[in-house]
Amino acid sequence: MKITALLAAGALTSAVLTAHPAWAEDVTLDFVVWNYSLETIQDNVKKFEEANPGIKVKVTDYTWPDYQDSIVLRFRGDTKTDVIYGGQDWLPAWAAAGFIAPLDSVAPAGAVEGLTKDIAGFALTDVTYKDKVYGLPYYSDTISFIYNKKILADAGIPVPATWEEVTAAAEKLKAGGMEHPIVYEYNQELPNFYDAFVAQAYGRGAELFDKDLDPLFADPNNEAYKQLQWIADAYAKGLVQSETHESKIIPAMNTGKHAFTIVFTYVLAALNNAADQPRAGEFALAPMPGATHSTLGFAKSYVVTAQAAGDPARAEAAWKFVNFMAGKPYTVAKRWAVEKGLGFGQLPLFEDKDVIDAWGKWTDVKALGAQAAIAKAGTYTEYSSVWSAYFRPLLAKAMVGEASVEQTTKDGAERWSQLKEQFANR
Amino acid sequence: MWSLKRFPAPWLLPALLPVAVMTIYPVAHALWTSLHSVTLLFPGEPFVGLDNYQRVVTSNYFWDAIRNSLVFTLLAAPSVVVIGTLVALFLQRRFFGSQLVRSVVLLPWVLPGAISAVLWIWVFHPSFGVLNGILRELNLIDGSIPWLTSPRLALVAVVVAHVWTQVPFAVVLIMAALAAINPETLEAAAIDCRSRFKRFRHIVFPEIKAMIVVLTVYNALTAFTSYDLVYAMTGGGPGTATTLLSFQIWRESFSMYDFGAGSAVAFIVVSISAVLIVAITRALPSDLFERE
Repeated sequence: MKITALLAAGALTSAVLTAHPAWAEDVTLDFVVWNYSLETIQDNVKKFEEANPGIKVKVTDYTWPDYQDSIVLRFRGDTKTDVIYGGQDWLPAWAAAGFIAPLDSVAPAGAVEGLTKDIAGFALTDVTYKDKVYGLPYYSDTISFIYNKKILADAGIPVPATWEEVTAAAEKLKAGGMEHPIVYEYNQELPNFYDAFVAQAYGRGAELFDKDLDPLFADPNNEAYKQLQWIADAYAKGLVQSETHESKIIPAMNTGKHAFTIVFTYVLAALNNAADQPRAGEFALAPMPGATHSTLGFAKSYVVTAQAAGDPARAEAAWKFVNFMAGKPYTVAKRWAVEKGLGFGQLPLFEDKDVIDAWGKWTDVKALGAQAAIAKAGTYTEYSSVWSAYFRPLLAKAMVGEASVEQTTKDGAERWSQLKEQFANR
Repeated sequence: MWSLKRFPAPWLLPALLPVAVMTIYPVAHALWTSLHSVTLLFPGEPFVGLDNYQRVVTSNYFWDAIRNSLVFTLLAAPSVVVIGTLVALFLQRRFFGSQLVRSVVLLPWVLPGAISAVLWIWVFHPSFGVLNGILRELNLIDGSIPWLTSPRLALVAVVVAHVWTQVPFAVVLIMAALAAINPETLEAAAIDCRSRFKRFRHIVFPEIKAMIVVLTVYNALTAFTSYDLVYAMTGGGPGTATTLLSFQIWRESFSMYDFGAGSAVAFIVVSISAVLIVAITRALPSDLFERE
């Protein structure tokens, strides 16, 4: 009797669930981000939820410096996580550890290929691991050399085209009373601390690794070695003021006490924002100093976790979400570009009139396009983020003269080779 | 039969069990991790004995970090106790607005480390910091003093900020100890001895000595394991000037994905902390840790 009653109740419950497909389809995605412009993220999520009834998205945010370790903790603790922001330097390690899933495993056949055709080369490299695409660009940007036009014009200094000219300009400004003409984002805990160094070395035409991924930068004739020496010399001459984060570089540059900085290009939009910066309009980007003027291009991306990919309902919802945020017609990527000045990996947006008009307010769009065209991707492997964490403190010590450039590059190269061998024998 | 006097242990179990579960298990797990190769990117967790400890101790950051942590602790812990005691002695007196001042003094205690860090960055910042602004207004300096960007000054700056956040707690505890002194003893001392310093040395200090030892131990541990405030102010730089040992637990575990090495650093921190506790309680003997 009791069994019959239980079976009847079960059948009734199944019937009710079938009759209310909305209940059955309701999926809540856990979307984890770093907290850049959280209100815009929330608004994009709201628009997605309106367009996709039955899918809810819960946003969890961490600060940029805490993001990577928080994500690793979530992975280690098996905390429910569906879609995350990925970084080019972490992506191979996360993929190798099985934390994230190739987009092909959650998207309908051909959907990813249809989108990757539109993605800029260096951005596509950054979201690819072992020939599989793991993410679609949230934004894609370059690291830029930024200067204060007014300060240079007032001092009669031409825009420097080489690092030696930067030194000469900074020394002239210092002689004229400017204490620290260069502001440098100096924080060994941030991955972009290493990226900014690579961008400068690329400006000189440096290759940091050969095609077999063996390190080249410990050679004194390598341009990366020379650039580290240049930074150490600039610090030793008292030309540089350190700041621990770009958010502090923006007010520092707006005091008018500094002329040069090297930061993510979108910082230029904030520097030239007339709404809250007293010296808005005075800042411009110049080609990265050096022989080739190349720089580092990179992509941050929307990535689906392996956890989500393993559950068909969550996988389907996660793909819909990623496609909404980064797929055609690129509405969200365009919004980031227009409202916040974030770069993009989706090439058709370079032709978009709204984007061109919006960017024209804070930069020379042609100059930016020229820079993007010669930007190069970084070298990222399964072990590059581990190595970068090891190398950044060494780099930091060398910059302020606490260690020699020779020893620093030698130690860095040795560690890279050790890790390469360790991973080869994995 | 199961009286408290005859069988005290079972009566303590309800209190001891949660402590054991919440403390002993994580510590034991961390010890296990420190003796195994637990890296995110490699399969398996093989036993490696003391390899993690050896690798950590011979790494190029370790001795810088340990030196910084010890200097930080030696500067910060005594400063907190001395300043806390002086402020408590001052606030114990009744004066107009003393209640308000007592409340305001507590404010730094309730601020999270990251917020305190932001406040102190605005004080010490070379370009737009308040301190350089005041010194310049007073014509004491011509250029900016690089408080946060000079290796030596940066450590001093973070010690100042750390002391500021910890002093209120010391004030509260010392004030509580002062309030427990018999007022008649203080009255008699005031009649017998005119020197305030002598009264403090011979009457007040012995009464609050146990609290001072507790505070010194507590502050030594707080300083030695300090992380958030220093990290937010300098990120461990310039160079490795403010890189503390506690950073390395995080860096090994989460930046280098090596939880074995991270746990080894954690156990080294615990061992040094234990040595600090013993050293302080021996240097400042009080009846606090003695048997009846």
